[in-house]
Formats: sequence, structure tokens, C-alpha cells
Amino acid sequence: MKRVLLVMGLLGVTSLSAEELLIKNVRLVETSFQSGKVSDLRIVDGIITQIGADLVASAGTAVFDGEARAVTPGFIDSGTTIGLAEVQGLGVSRDGEQVDDDMTAGFQVYLALNEDSSLIPIATNDGITRGLIVPGAGDSNYAGQSALVRFKQGPTFLNEETMAQHLYLREGDRRRAGGSRSSALAAALEALEESARYDKQRRAFNTNRNRSFDLDESDLVALSAVRRGEMPLVVQVDRAADIIKVVTAFRSYPDLRLILASAAEAWKVAPLLSAENIPVLINVMENLPQNFDRLGARLDQATLLADAGVTFAFLSGSPYSETRSLGQAAGVAVAQGLSWQQAIAAITSVPAAIWGLAGLGRIERGAIADLVIWDGDPLEVTSAPLAVLIDGEWVDLETRQSALANRYVELLNLK
Amino acid sequence: MIKLWVLIAGIALSSSSAADYPSTYDPPPHAAFVLTHAIVDVGEGQGEFEGWVSVADGKIVGIGMMDDARPDDVLEINAGGRWLTPGVIDVHSHLGDYPSPGYRAHSDGNEATSPVTAEVWAEHSVWPQDPQFPLALKGGVTTLQVLPGSANLFGGRSVVLKNIWSRTVQGMKFPGAPYGLKMACGENPKRVYGSRSQSPSTRMGNFAGYRKAWIDAQEYQRKWVRFEKALGEYELWRTSNDGETDYKEPPSPPKRNLQMETLVGVLKGEILVHNHCYRADEMAQIIDLSREFGYQVTAFHHAVEAYKIGDLLAANNVCAAMWADWWQFKLESFDGIKENVAMVQAAGACAIVHSDSARGIQRLNQEAAKAMAAGQRLGLSVDATVALTWITRNAARALGIADQTGTLAVGKMADMVLWSHPPMSVYARAETVFIDGVRRLDRAAELAPVTDFELGQREEVF
Repeated sequence: MKRVLLVMGLLGVTSLSAEELLIKNVRLVETSFQSGKVSDLRIVDGIITQIGADLVASAGTAVFDGEARAVTPGFIDSGTTIGLAEVQGLGVSRDGEQVDDDMTAGFQVYLALNEDSSLIPIATNDGITRGLIVPGAGDSNYAGQSALVRFKQGPTFLNEETMAQHLYLREGDRRRAGGSRSSALAAALEALEESARYDKQRRAFNTNRNRSFDLDESDLVALSAVRRGEMPLVVQVDRAADIIKVVTAFRSYPDLRLILASAAEAWKVAPLLSAENIPVLINVMENLPQNFDRLGARLDQATLLADAGVTFAFLSGSPYSETRSLGQAAGVAVAQGLSWQQAIAAITSVPAAIWGLAGLGRIERGAIADLVIWDGDPLEVTSAPLAVLIDGEWVDLETRQSALANRYVELLNLK
Repeated sequence: MIKLWVLIAGIALSSSSAADYPSTYDPPPHAAFVLTHAIVDVGEGQGEFEGWVSVADGKIVGIGMMDDARPDDVLEINAGGRWLTPGVIDVHSHLGDYPSPGYRAHSDGNEATSPVTAEVWAEHSVWPQDPQFPLALKGGVTTLQVLPGSANLFGGRSVVLKNIWSRTVQGMKFPGAPYGLKMACGENPKRVYGSRSQSPSTRMGNFAGYRKAWIDAQEYQRKWVRFEKALGEYELWRTSNDGETDYKEPPSPPKRNLQMETLVGVLKGEILVHNHCYRADEMAQIIDLSREFGYQVTAFHHAVEAYKIGDLLAANNVCAAMWADWWQFKLESFDGIKENVAMVQAAGACAIVHSDSARGIQRLNQEAAKAMAAGQRLGLSVDATVALTWITRNAARALGIADQTGTLAVGKMADMVLWSHPPMSVYARAETVFIDGVRRLDRAAELAPVTDFELGQREEVF
């Protein structure tokens, strides 16, 4: 109850002065949740403007006392599907992938997002403040473009309409592209080539003199952006042999920004990924050898990647309801040998860098005030946020779930 | 009369066929030992103490605090202040019948060809070389129940396994554990059969299907009772007519029906009902169904809404097996809340944390911890020692094996886990796992089972 009261109280206060906020006595965590300096943070217009000891509140400023608890940047989920389905198992409520089309690079999930989804505050309660909402494979290899969101219900939910193009090249992702992973990769490359031809002939295309392209214009435009490096390409691929082929094949496009996801066997080719500076997005808890591409899946993959100097971030995957949460994943990685600091980085500063999110993922002067104040170790499964700020504003942590719990605690007189 | 009773018992046994696929599990011998300097939680929800546990011939033979006298003539293993708990028990798993790799060729969990398939037995689908078994062992799981899936109203028989590497499933079967019957409420059966324009296509169709099957089972049971009575009378006549020349036909037994044998096993209280059921209102109706036909529901599984009816579960002595925080993946799971397990506990009912997942089974302790913390934030008085019972003692109770495992007590199987950190921490790794006193996992010694599937193509990770 304490947590709820704190937040409710603050909501009342901040409504008086939305511009300035002073957070006193929070621990800027370093190598563990108990290490790091206890400091004050001044936030003006959503930006951290000052960090130091004994900051003084100016008149009318709301003050929050963190009681020396851990504060982290809001976690950044490098891949989930919140906002694309109210109930994952209900096909009609799901908008995350295209079916009956084998080329959907032009598909943009942001147009389908539900900014009022009841799932949003549930992710916020796991300490996540931003995330990529990623299209599923559907029937295509190029599945379309992800969006960036803030985990706050309402009109500010959508943060960036388009973030990355997503290409699926795992076992089972190749049916529509000829039934072999050879043809799937060839088709992916040929689509990029076609986008290059399209760029050269764009004027002719637009004046209707040349329309001899296999792909829709929206796909060609999207793939041009990938080829020119204006939008990164996230390739879902698991098998070590395939990772090598993908890295090699996309070398022909010097501007293309390649990111690997899923990547169960990335640790086997870590020196290559490290040398070429290719980031990897992993779901820590996916360690099952579910198919022959994933024979090398293991729980300590993050540790191996860290040791080899590969850049990696964690994602929670889909559906969020079964893969939560990011903090737990990071905790599991620590139990498997990763340092606490690196685990926190893999859900804050590293994804911010991978996605080019200036001002996010770090607590420093000039940073965006996406902050989580924790009731314990942020990576512990027993911990939860006491308060969450997004863009310097408190987020209401009440959820449909807490309303249900309260109703039945009262009805059954459980306290 | 003694002769008669023996005869009837023999018939009862042959009609339930429990002896036809017997366990061949025989734990190998081990040196007696005493594990000392451990933070021991025996799994009774009564807290922890620094102490020792001594083990001989697969059984716990002594437990004490560090100040208490302990055996000094056996091997001493110093736990160095690490945490000792009973082995983790998962009441809901599909390891072996939905193994990894998860190809269709391996998918043996749902006999989705008829809404009533009480005749199938999960053990006949279990692939003992599933690499998910050793992964579960690394999460401290010593015993698990493998169930058929939930496509059908009556999915079939479950099997309780010891989590050991074996060439055969018989070699994993928990000796003497009762069978379970998997039943399913709600969306799955009505979706699977409704999509084929077949009954059930609605929840009311589900109930009609349950009731029809139980009525058939009652009739089958009566047939056997009539036969046994007639046989008894015949035997009485035969033994009391020594030397007489009168001839009387012995009665012929009814034809065996495997489906009915399982259901009758439930009606006789020999087979435990494990009922997949998400919604509170459906659970309440299933309890009425069980009253109509005079059987006991042992546990509701995936009881996402159990928190709404904790009082009803307590009053009817039904356990609820739950996830910590899964919800939203289907409509009947939409009201799932993290406080569920703790609220069921607070209502005085038997609460269990289960996995239904080859990933989740690797960290049931973390799932229990999440549920505990959510309860604490709500102001309920649940702590780490109570949360431990959700994955040990209460789980053993629901499987009908609480007299043999599930807690650390003298005379019970030495199924134990030594953890690197307090078991309710995300950092806790099962470092050493004993099953019947035998070390099956010891990370420091790089001892862990490797399945045939993994051999030569998958690295060992300790």
C-alpha cells in the first residue's frame, strides 16, 4: 500500500508544478543495487538538469524522498508486442503481423498500436519505460517496421513511428521464400537489389514510365532506407552457420546497419560479431534446443558474448505475458556469470546506444528523466518499482490487475 | 472370507492395470553422508535453521541443528552456509511428451481425436532423451508430473516421474505414485472440437460431455461390481460344495474398457483428478460436477482466477496450481494477477506454483518468489518459507506422494537441493541436487546428466 500512497500523493503534488521536480536521496547504482552514491536529482521540463548532494528545492517544486533506494534509468525493451494485441491468443485482436503476403517490408506496426491497452501499465510495473514494438514473422521474411513506445497509456504512448526493419531467417521462416534457407536469403538480398534499381529509376517510376518491379512501392521505399543505413536491419537468425552467411552477405551494403536478434548460437561466432561490431539482441531465458538451429542455445549466452566483447541487449519477446520480465532476464544472466553492471546496461544504456536514443538509458545531466525508483534490487524477482517517471512525469502504477486484487482481497476479507 | 477378499483385490488390480507398466526405477547405492552447515528449510513453512541432514540408503535418517549431535562415522559434506531445501516438484509439465526439439514428429501431448480420451496414458508418449529433463534438474526439480494436453475434456492419465536420466520411462516412474487424470475446462476443448463442428463447441457442451462420461463410468463400475458379486457367490458355492457334482458356470467378466477403467479409478479414489481450469466460475461448477458423481478434484491447474474463490477451494479441499504472472495469452487468462498465489494461501487453501513450460520449470523458485513478493506488497503475510511450500510440500500433496517426498523429514526420500543463494532470489542456482540420496547434479564437480540427443552435438553447461 505504501507504494500506491506514495505515487498518489505525488500525483497530487506534481499537478501544482509540472515543470520542476526534485528527487532527494536516491542511489545512483553502480556495481550492485547497494553501491553507488546517494544523490539528489533536479528535473526541469522532463530533463535531469542537476545531480548532486543537498540540492535545494525552489519555491513550488515538488519533492520526492527516495530514502536511499536504488534508482535506474527506465528499462528499454528491445523487442516486445504490447499494444498490438489485447489477448495474444485471439487472432482477431492481434495486429502484429501480416498474413498471406510474403513481402511486407512496408508494413508499419505503429498504425495498429493501441495506446490505451491495459497491458501498458503492467510493463511499467516491471520497470520498463520504453520499448520497440516489433512485427511478427507472419508469412513474410521482411516483416516490416517496428515502432518505439513509451510505457504510459494515452496519446504519448507512440514515441517513434518507425525504428527498424525486421527480417526473419530462422528455421521455419523460409516457407514462403521457396522452402529453403538458401532461397530465403537470396530473396532477401534480391529485394535489396530491387530497391537499388527502384532508387535509380524513381523518377521514371513516379511518372509512370517504368513499373516493372516485383515489389510494392512501400516495400521498395522501406528497403531503400535499410540499404542506405537510414534504418537498421534486425535479422532474426539462430544457427551459427546462418549467422556467418548473413553477416557475409550483407557486407556488400556498406551503409547497412545490421543487428542480430534471437541469435541462439551467436556465442559460437562471437569473434566475428565483435570484430564487425554487430550488436545482438537476446532473450536470456530462451535456452531450449527447440529446433536444429538452436542446438547451441544456452542460459549463459550473455556471459559468453560479454567475454568476447560483443555488444548485446535483452528483449522480452512475445507474448509479453509469458516472457516477462526484462529485469528477471537480467537477473538470470547475472546468476549465469554476467556482472550486475553489464546486466543493467543490457536493458538501459546499451539498447539506448543501439537504437540511437539520445538522452535515454543513462542518468546524467541533460538526460531525459525516465527513472525507476525501486523497493529493492532492480534485478531481483521480488523487487518492484516504487515510482516511475517517464519524460519527467510520474506514471500511475495502478493497473486493471491491482483493481482486481483489491476487489477480491476485500470480498474475501483476506487481510 | 479371507480367500474371497484376496480374490476381489486381485480382480480390482487387474481391472485398473496399474501393475502392467511398473516402475523399474531402483536408485543406485550411495555412500551414507551427512550434509552440514546448511541453512535448512524442511519445506513445512516453519522457517529455516543452520543445521545438518544425514542420509543413508536413499532416505533421510536424521536432521538437526548444528549444536545437535550428528553421525560422525559417515562422509561429511560441508554445505558452507548454502541453502538446503526439499527437491522442487512440478505438478504440471509436458517434458518428454512435448520435448525439444519440438517438431511435429515429437509432438505427443494431445490425443486430439476425441473429446474423451481417458484411455491414453502420458507415459506412453514420454521420450526419456528429452534434453529438457536435465535443464529442469538444473532448476532443482527432482519430481514432476507429466500430463496429457488440454485439447480434450478428459485428456488421459498422467505419470509422476523422478527427474533422472534413464533409457526408459519405466526407469523414471516414481514408485507407487498414484496416477492422475487430466481434465480440461473452458476454451481448449470447445475450440478444438467446435472448429470441427463437433461437440463440445461451447462451455455447456463441455459439461454435457463430462456428465455423459461420468454416467458411462458409473454404469461400467456397476457392471464390475455385479460381476465381482456374482464371482464371489460362485466361489462361495464352489468352496462349500466340495465333492458335489452339481455344475455351475463361473460368471464371465465384462470386457475391459481402458477409458472407463481410468474414470472408475477416479470414482474409487485411486486416480487423482488434475483439472485444467482458468476461470473461477467454471471451477465452482466443476466442484458441483464432482459432487454429482462423488469424486474429489485434487487440484485445479492454471487456476488463474483461483484468487476469486480461495474460500471455496479451502472448503472443498482442492489445491490450486498456478503461474506467478502469466496472463493475457488467451481470453480465459485475462484476469490473471500476480497476487493470485498469495491470495489463495491467505484464504487457507492449498497453493502450488507450477510451470506448464520447459522454460518455467527451470526457475520455479523464482516464480514462487515473484508470487510471494506480490502478496507482500498487497499486505498479505507470506514469506520465503511459506513460498517454498508452493513448489515442494503442497506439490507433493497434490501428487499423492507427500508421505514419501516434498519435505525434509526422517524416513522420507532424500530428494534435496543445495542452492547458491536464498532460494527465493533470482541469483539462486541449484548447485547440487540429490534424488534418493544420489547426486544427480553437482556443478562444481561438472556432474550432470547428458541425454542421448545432446551427446556429441550440444555443449555441456554447468
